[in-house]
Amino acid sequence: MIRTKHTLAAAVVVSAALALTACGGEAPASDLSSVKIMAPFLEAQPPTADGAVQKKLEEVTGKDINITWTPNASYEDKMNITLASSDIPHVLVVQGKTPGFVKNAEAGAFWDLTDKLKDYPNLKTTFPEVQQNASINGKVYGVYRGRNPIRAAVMFRQDWLDKLGLKAPETVEDLYKVAKAFTEQDPDGNGQNDTYGITIPKWGALGTNSPYDMIETWYGAGNRWTERDGKLVPSFETDEFLEADRFIKKMVDEKLINPDFATYDSTKWNEPFFNGKGGMIIDVDSRVSVLINLFKQANPNDFQNKVGFVGSLKGPDGELHAHPTDGYSGFLAIPKASVKTEADLKNVLSFLDKLNSKDAAILLNNGIEGVNFTVEDGLAATIKPETPEGKTVNTDIKSFAQLGTNVTGNNFYPVKQASEYEQKVFDDRTAIMAEDLKSAVYNPAAAFVSPTYVAKGAQLDNIVADARIKYLAGQLDEQGLKDAIKLWNTSGGDKVKEEINKLWQENKK
Amino acid sequence: MTAPVVEAKAPGRAASKPPAPARRRGFAVHFAHYKWLYLLLLPGVLYFAIFRYGPMYGVSIAFKDYVPFLGVNGSPWVGFTNFTDFFANPDFPRLLGNTLILAFLNLGIAFPLTIVLALLLNEVRLSVLKRTVQTLVYIPHFLSWTIVASLSFLLFALDIGPLFQFVNLLFGTNVDILSDPNWFRPLIVLQEIWKNTGWGTIIFLAALATVDQDQYEAAIIDGAGRFRRVWHITLPGIRSTIIVMLILAIGQMLNTGFEQIYLMTNALNRSVADVFDTYVYFVGITQGAYSYSTAVGLFKSLVGIVLIFGTNWLSKRFNQSGLF
Repeated sequence: MIRTKHTLAAAVVVSAALALTACGGEAPASDLSSVKIMAPFLEAQPPTADGAVQKKLEEVTGKDINITWTPNASYEDKMNITLASSDIPHVLVVQGKTPGFVKNAEAGAFWDLTDKLKDYPNLKTTFPEVQQNASINGKVYGVYRGRNPIRAAVMFRQDWLDKLGLKAPETVEDLYKVAKAFTEQDPDGNGQNDTYGITIPKWGALGTNSPYDMIETWYGAGNRWTERDGKLVPSFETDEFLEADRFIKKMVDEKLINPDFATYDSTKWNEPFFNGKGGMIIDVDSRVSVLINLFKQANPNDFQNKVGFVGSLKGPDGELHAHPTDGYSGFLAIPKASVKTEADLKNVLSFLDKLNSKDAAILLNNGIEGVNFTVEDGLAATIKPETPEGKTVNTDIKSFAQLGTNVTGNNFYPVKQASEYEQKVFDDRTAIMAEDLKSAVYNPAAAFVSPTYVAKGAQLDNIVADARIKYLAGQLDEQGLKDAIKLWNTSGGDKVKEEINKLWQENKK
Repeated sequence: MTAPVVEAKAPGRAASKPPAPARRRGFAVHFAHYKWLYLLLLPGVLYFAIFRYGPMYGVSIAFKDYVPFLGVNGSPWVGFTNFTDFFANPDFPRLLGNTLILAFLNLGIAFPLTIVLALLLNEVRLSVLKRTVQTLVYIPHFLSWTIVASLSFLLFALDIGPLFQFVNLLFGTNVDILSDPNWFRPLIVLQEIWKNTGWGTIIFLAALATVDQDQYEAAIIDGAGRFRRVWHITLPGIRSTIIVMLILAIGQMLNTGFEQIYLMTNALNRSVADVFDTYVYFVGITQGAYSYSTAVGLFKSLVGIVLIFGTNWLSKRFNQSGLF
């Protein structure tokens, strides 16, 4: 009797353990009438499956859609766990060529789409160089999610500029002059020496479109990598890189830049600009509208003459080297474990093709016409006041935009701005960015993934990134910065260079 | 454990019976006798089996080249490569040094301060005052490190932070405390003291309450002053508690507090700020080197185990009670 109880207890424990391990064992649905997608969401709440946007999307694509929305902050972890499980989606939003993704792709986790995308009218990209950037050594493992490549801008207090009778900067030399005037000539007119030229927050990493990266590119140092004497070298090994950093250091030393640039919280970046302490910000151009909105909220009647902006600046050589991003933000990849046959793959690709059709693009980016927006002069005007349905759609599309690829350009309506002034600013931005695109300096090594870099690239880059900040802060002299670059080479950078150049040569053929 | 022994020696049992079934029967009786206690034990055992020991199979990726797609079982074995890579890495001495220095600073300054504060509180005669102070010093413990870091950033903000001005006036300097490498360690230890000293006194205050009051009376009659009483009665009275807490603290020593250090690190102080915990995060999570960072974490845990056993052994050796 007692023995039985004992065994029974053991059996309960064992079966409980089995039940626990069996949770992840459900086989994926093999019929592709429904498509499973995993995507990140950046809003407070993910869209619900029975929302109007998802219903409409199912209508447009002719498939049942089952989306696993995953919080953006832990997305990469969740993605790796999902890939190791047996419940894998058919379409996976991948946020970038992280070492984890590269390892998975090279182990054969995803379909190679290099020769397949051209058969689908909405997936055949009109920006082949961006698709190349998004590839791993020329192999395309997903449909990239297009972004405006040119986003670099210098934003300044227009009212200060007017008061001091200055012109908007066109060259880096102008940037220095304006920064100096903003610091020393009392642009806010309060009789005190309490302003400085440029605000830079804690933002050290290399190649992340930081203000430092942008200025270095404007100086002609290239964009992460650059071609010198028939070889690719990292931008920080060029003379222009040192020149640019000398230039920034001069501004730091003359107190034209906030002295706590190494620790300043980037979430407070707008505050000195808005409060009249720091007169300029170098960042992506979308910050222009954020800044205008700050002034608008404070005083809806007088906000038009506060924010001025220009795009990339001309370097000391008089040439414009505009700073572009890689033009994409991750991609939609198709795991082999869930999409097993070529026939299934075609099925999924035709779904993605429909997902990038004009109808779907408008749905994902603008919403549902008549519910949350109307079309006026080819612009999407948000319906105001918001109806409850319209509000849900407006919230949902912020998440659904994550599924948009736009590899054939933006096929949706630009958003109509709230006022004439803001519309003009928006049009100016578009025009400036289009102009800068002609002089864009792309990263020639964007497509190449070197094994050494995957293994320890971030550690390596950190050597130079920290040295750059230390040099600017005066903890290192120029020799110290050069030594750090040498250390980058001897710690494994030499090998990275070798591998990148080999891949580059192979791809040129 | 007495029950089975009694059973085995029970009269009337045939001597020729093999011992194994006897032991099993003994256990069955023992089990039946204590079944409710075992039932009480069950949730604890399950908790440790499922949430603590179960996931440990994941530690095996320290000896593999882990690729998420291939899974923990499917990834190829690489032996000790990850460990040798780490020991050969130029970061290793720096990380070890930073971790140990911070650990010993915390142990050497923050730990004794807890005891001092407990003794001080114990000497407060006015119980209202004692209780109020006690509650007040507990409060910082309940603030997250994010808040502590934000407060530090406000107080030590360059040029405008009140403590920035105070400290620089005091030392006649003009340094940015938040980014100066020399200030990093004092700042970390200060934060640790501010946040956790009060909370740490709880156990010592409980131990102080058990010290025999008669001894104090006897000492007062013998003419012992306050310091004498603390030295000869109070401290010996809580000696075993101090040693147990010390052993526990040493076991935790290398857990330098990821959040705190991560939040206070910037490009200018990274050379002294990088510790094992932040390195594991940086290499493992942001760079996807899961195997390598697991190896680093495992090494840290091994050092922790060695420390805790070592202290325990030393403590027993010097005739004190150990933890186990």
